[in-house]
Amino acid sequence: MSAVAPAPALAQSEPLVSVGLRNAYQAELHKLTAQLITRILMLVCAIGPLAFAVILKVQSGTPSDALFGVWVHSSGFAVSLVILGFAGSWGFPIVAGVLAGDLFSSEDRHGTWKTILTRSCTREDVFAAKLLAAGTFAVGLIALLAAMSLIAGFVLVGAHALVNLSGVLTSPGRMLALTVVSWVICLLPLLAYTSLAILFSVATRNGILGVLGPLLVALITQLLDLIGKGVVVHELLIGSAFDGWHGLFTSHPFFGPVLVGSLVSVIWIVACLAASWRIMRRRDFLTGVSGGGPSWTAPIKLVAVSTVVVALLALACGVGPTGVTAYRVAYNIGREFNNVTLLQQELIGRHVPTNARLYIQPQCNRRGTKAIGPGDWNCNIYVYLPQANSVPYQLTSVEYDVSVEYNGCYKAQSPPAFLGGQSMQDATGHSVTNPLFIVYGCFNVL
Amino acid sequence: MYAVRATGLVKRFSDTTALDGLDIGLAPGEVRGLLGPNGAGKTTLLRILFGLIRPDGGTVELLGRRLDHLGGDVLDGVGGFVEEPSFYPYLTGRANLKLLAKLDGDGRPAREIDDALGRVGLAERAGDRLSGYSTGMRQRLGLAAALLRRPRLLLLDEPTSGLDPGGTRAVAGLVRELAADGVAVLLSSHQIGELEKVCDSYTVMRVGRVVWNGTAAELEAQAPDSAYALWTSDDAHALELASRIPRVRIQRAARGGLAVAARSGDMDVLVAALGDARVLIRRLELMISPLESMFFALTGGHDGPPLDALEPQEMADTILAGA
Repeated sequence: MSAVAPAPALAQSEPLVSVGLRNAYQAELHKLTAQLITRILMLVCAIGPLAFAVILKVQSGTPSDALFGVWVHSSGFAVSLVILGFAGSWGFPIVAGVLAGDLFSSEDRHGTWKTILTRSCTREDVFAAKLLAAGTFAVGLIALLAAMSLIAGFVLVGAHALVNLSGVLTSPGRMLALTVVSWVICLLPLLAYTSLAILFSVATRNGILGVLGPLLVALITQLLDLIGKGVVVHELLIGSAFDGWHGLFTSHPFFGPVLVGSLVSVIWIVACLAASWRIMRRRDFLTGVSGGGPSWTAPIKLVAVSTVVVALLALACGVGPTGVTAYRVAYNIGREFNNVTLLQQELIGRHVPTNARLYIQPQCNRRGTKAIGPGDWNCNIYVYLPQANSVPYQLTSVEYDVSVEYNGCYKAQSPPAFLGGQSMQDATGHSVTNPLFIVYGCFNVL
Repeated sequence: MYAVRATGLVKRFSDTTALDGLDIGLAPGEVRGLLGPNGAGKTTLLRILFGLIRPDGGTVELLGRRLDHLGGDVLDGVGGFVEEPSFYPYLTGRANLKLLAKLDGDGRPAREIDDALGRVGLAERAGDRLSGYSTGMRQRLGLAAALLRRPRLLLLDEPTSGLDPGGTRAVAGLVRELAADGVAVLLSSHQIGELEKVCDSYTVMRVGRVVWNGTAAELEAQAPDSAYALWTSDDAHALELASRIPRVRIQRAARGGLAVAARSGDMDVLVAALGDARVLIRRLELMISPLESMFFALTGGHDGPPLDALEPQEMADTILAGA
């Protein structure tokens, strides 16, 4: 009897995620969860928004310098958006630094590289697992922060309509969608900061620099935002990507900054992770527990290089066109003034016909030597009011001090003598925010 | 099949050559002692075998699979540690092992972790955070972590460092037990006495090269004289008797007693002669074993020439310096 050769076994398809990566990822999540600093961060993200909202509730002041800040007593969405604005400046870099900045260097500090790399997972697995774990926690924490900021706003202020960045009252449903999308948009720059923290951690093997690095970069970004009129360098910085969501809150949304910010974030992520992996892959794991504290040789070199880079960036900030021109400032201020004036008339009980428009002529000039660019501006808005008698129009003017940022966002404030204080009484006698007192807006600089 | 087969390993750090064309092979079930003075390249070799550093030349096969120096599946079945074992201080001993078991990824039951902890005598302290562990306890946890790998090849670097005598004896028993089950063990240590209790063979390294390689029996045959400290009831008579035995060198030690340099067979003859002459042996200590004398001869390990080349008085002082 002839033997029948067994049919060849069908080749099993490769799993999408390798077993080693899955195991290493679970281990990294376990390590992060077990650390006190991660738990503190979770607590801050959970309780922080509530504490912020409570403080706002018990005091009359408002964080009026922040976008939507003047509306925090009127709409819960403003609470969430103010927190998002603050998080974009400081919160996201802190979360990224704390989560990822010590992720690799802590293995050097504890001498545990040799412990984990001699198990059944490759360097690729460990590297990818650390990235995924940091990303998971970063996204999870920001999701928690976003959810708690909305809950805090809804509970303590209410899910009321909010005046958008064109001065138009926007329904709660649309505001909720826009607010959620804004938080989601900020995830990419958050991951860019996380990648930067990982690069600091891998390159310097120094947890202090890994944690503080993203925060320093955020600080430098903010300082650079204050100088130079050019838009090119600003848009290439990670921090600028956090401003992309502003364009969604105008009546005619613009998406250029979101797209550019997302692209810039992706470039940062790819560059930082590629550099980190290159270092990690080529590294010889020689020493055990690092004695006498973290290494400072690499950090000192890094600080020297960073100083040069920052100096060059500072010089380059003025290069390229500026999107902040007198025409754009005047056009947007004028349009928004029209909207908030009509809104104010509605609030005090006057009938405003649909599509009503005021006859307005705004005129804006930049204070200082340069005629264009971010900085302090002065806007005179000439309003022509129709008259019943032979004189066709009565001319009146309103003056606004406008602070314009490089990204096209501005805060315009008029002296109370012109337009009243921050609060006014509506038709029912309730105290409400005067929409003309402080006006926030944004225009596209790209 | 070799458990370890490394050929032509070269590793350089800047201007220093840590390994210079090193070859080593280890069979399943073999317990090999790896000896050498500081800087001989023992730790570098272990790091290469673990995939922690990459060699500048040569190849490594572990359990029949080529190591690409990025770890991973090739390390399946390989356990142990290099230098002192390190763990996460914010986790307990048991949590550290659970984490490592997770990295191994084959869903080890909790019972197996408890068994490993029990085998190294850490069961009672397994719930303590690692920050409260002594050096010896960390060493024990390192062994438990190695056992969790269900190793077929065990690479251990100074495994008894920091252990009390009981712990040292337990480690020796554990190694022999594993070897009996076919586990190959490469054991690097400066404690030659401990190695002698467990090793079947030895590799002596010096400045990145293997200077001697062989079994315990070969070592016994080739080793230079061992050194003994001897206290008798009649040292003068003992001196006279020893002087009649070829290849036995004996000398009064400055701090009392006698210093003897001889191979173990010749030493047996001397002991028998002392017995026949009714000279009582009050104390006899092996001061420098065959392995140690071989080590010293090959590496110059006692900061001087080999014992064979010493004058009797120098030899006596050398021997009794540690008595």
